Amino acid sequence: MRRLGSAVVSGLVFLALWKVVTLVGGYPDYILPAPEVVLERAARAIGSGVLWEHVGVTLLEVVLGFVAGATVAVLTGIALGKSVLVERVLSPYLVAAQAVPILALAPLLDIWFGGGLLARVVICGLIVFFPIAIATMVGIRSTDPQLDEMLRSLGATSAQRTRLLEIPSALPVLFGGLRVGVTLAVIGAVVAEWAGASAGLGVLINIANQGLFDTPLMFVALGALAIIGLVFYGLVVLVERRLVPR
Amino acid sequence: MTALPATDPQHREGLDLRLTGVGVRFAVPSGTLEALAGLDMVVEAGSFTAVIGPNGCGKSTLLRLLAGLLDPTAGTVLVGGHEPRAGDGRVGLAFQQPRLVPWRSTLDNVGMPLELAAIPARERRQRAGDALARVGLESAGHLRPRELSGGMAQRAALARALITDPPVLLLDEPFSALDALTREAFDAELQRLWLDRRRTVVLVTHSVPEALTLADRVVVMTPRPGRVATVVEVDLPRPRPVELAGDPRAAELAARIRAALAAAHADELRPWTDARAGEPVR
Repeated sequence: MRRLGSAVVSGLVFLALWKVVTLVGGYPDYILPAPEVVLERAARAIGSGVLWEHVGVTLLEVVLGFVAGATVAVLTGIALGKSVLVERVLSPYLVAAQAVPILALAPLLDIWFGGGLLARVVICGLIVFFPIAIATMVGIRSTDPQLDEMLRSLGATSAQRTRLLEIPSALPVLFGGLRVGVTLAVIGAVVAEWAGASAGLGVLINIANQGLFDTPLMFVALGALAIIGLVFYGLVVLVERRLVPR
Repeated sequence: MTALPATDPQHREGLDLRLTGVGVRFAVPSGTLEALAGLDMVVEAGSFTAVIGPNGCGKSTLLRLLAGLLDPTAGTVLVGGHEPRAGDGRVGLAFQQPRLVPWRSTLDNVGMPLELAAIPARERRQRAGDALARVGLESAGHLRPRELSGGMAQRAALARALITDPPVLLLDEPFSALDALTREAFDAELQRLWLDRRRTVVLVTHSVPEALTLADRVVVMTPRPGRVATVVEVDLPRPRPVELAGDPRAAELAARIRAALAAAHADELRPWTDARAGEPVR
């Protein structure tokens, strides 16, 4: 309850500061709209159903992209963590791929994967992949070698050690990667939509910004993205509280 | 998983241990480290052996060989006539540190060897509870390891090593981190457990009194590369008290063990006094 209270207070302070800036600056709405203008625009977009349509598309992309990217990343991270050979062979490619801006690759990926939902999930998943894979690897490596030796002395197989010791040991660090990854998933969905999509909050931003010069609507879309990010981040933290051994 | 021969009557009296010409080399950044070289040792089935020697003489390496965690680079290691393999159920190993998994309850820690052998949860809990009771921890099963005292944690680790009822028990200084009184109580309990059920026990220790209280034979090792320097037979009647100081025979044996240690480790035991400052005090 106290946490909720502080969130409400900080939200109100944020809105008040925003309002003060628009009052002092006196900017036109297409440069910086006042908060009540954006809220009013949001109410209209919600009322007409336009916002939900775009939110629905982006939510689907974020969820599928995050789940797919995180699953592959965790499996890759376990392999990287357990085998120095795998790390030596794979890590240069992973780092190089991470250094290439996905924004530049996105249009190409869009063509390769058929330009539909699959293509957007792939782009989103790729953005999510790296921090989670690296966090998993670091987490697996943080396993206490004394506990590992204890399990080996009891005849534990490699798979048993991974399940009973290495993954639980990796969870605190792994969840750090998942927290970063889930916020990147939102960015990934928008990047994917910019590469080719007919709906989604990324598309809505483009329409509002470049087509209609409707800056308040763009702010509505940005706000929706921020809320999606906050909600998913909160969900990851909730799961973390339940799963991480303490 | 290997079936655990826990109830097999032929294992009731322990297994014999034979190490012949054993050498172990490790690759280290500065080259190779020779932990053991030319080590010959025979441990009779059902006997209690204490291995004593200074740090770094390869005592822990010796236990790792017997537990099947490590293969010798030379010679042969046989447990009951077979090369040991980790998890074959014939050897229980307790380390200097309790090594309990922090996020598991004490009961689930103790039951871990059974879990690895895919024994159903019900039986596992039942047997883990029994094993805890044997070390006097029947009411601590639900506690997490961090809620246990050092002595309780070490008893839980012993219960884990004993839960499969292995014919051979290897103890790597399991009581060395405990205070003197707790340690004496543990030594008495360990003697009771062993008199109750005569497995083959190898105990690595730094303590001459502990070795004398518990062991049939005390093996004194040389510095690295380790091998057997001397074997002292301890022919004191059992059960023995933890405090043997008043026993003249025990005092004589202690003196022999100390002399053997001193001869084997002349370099390390040399007094720290600067020779130029005068006669060192012996």
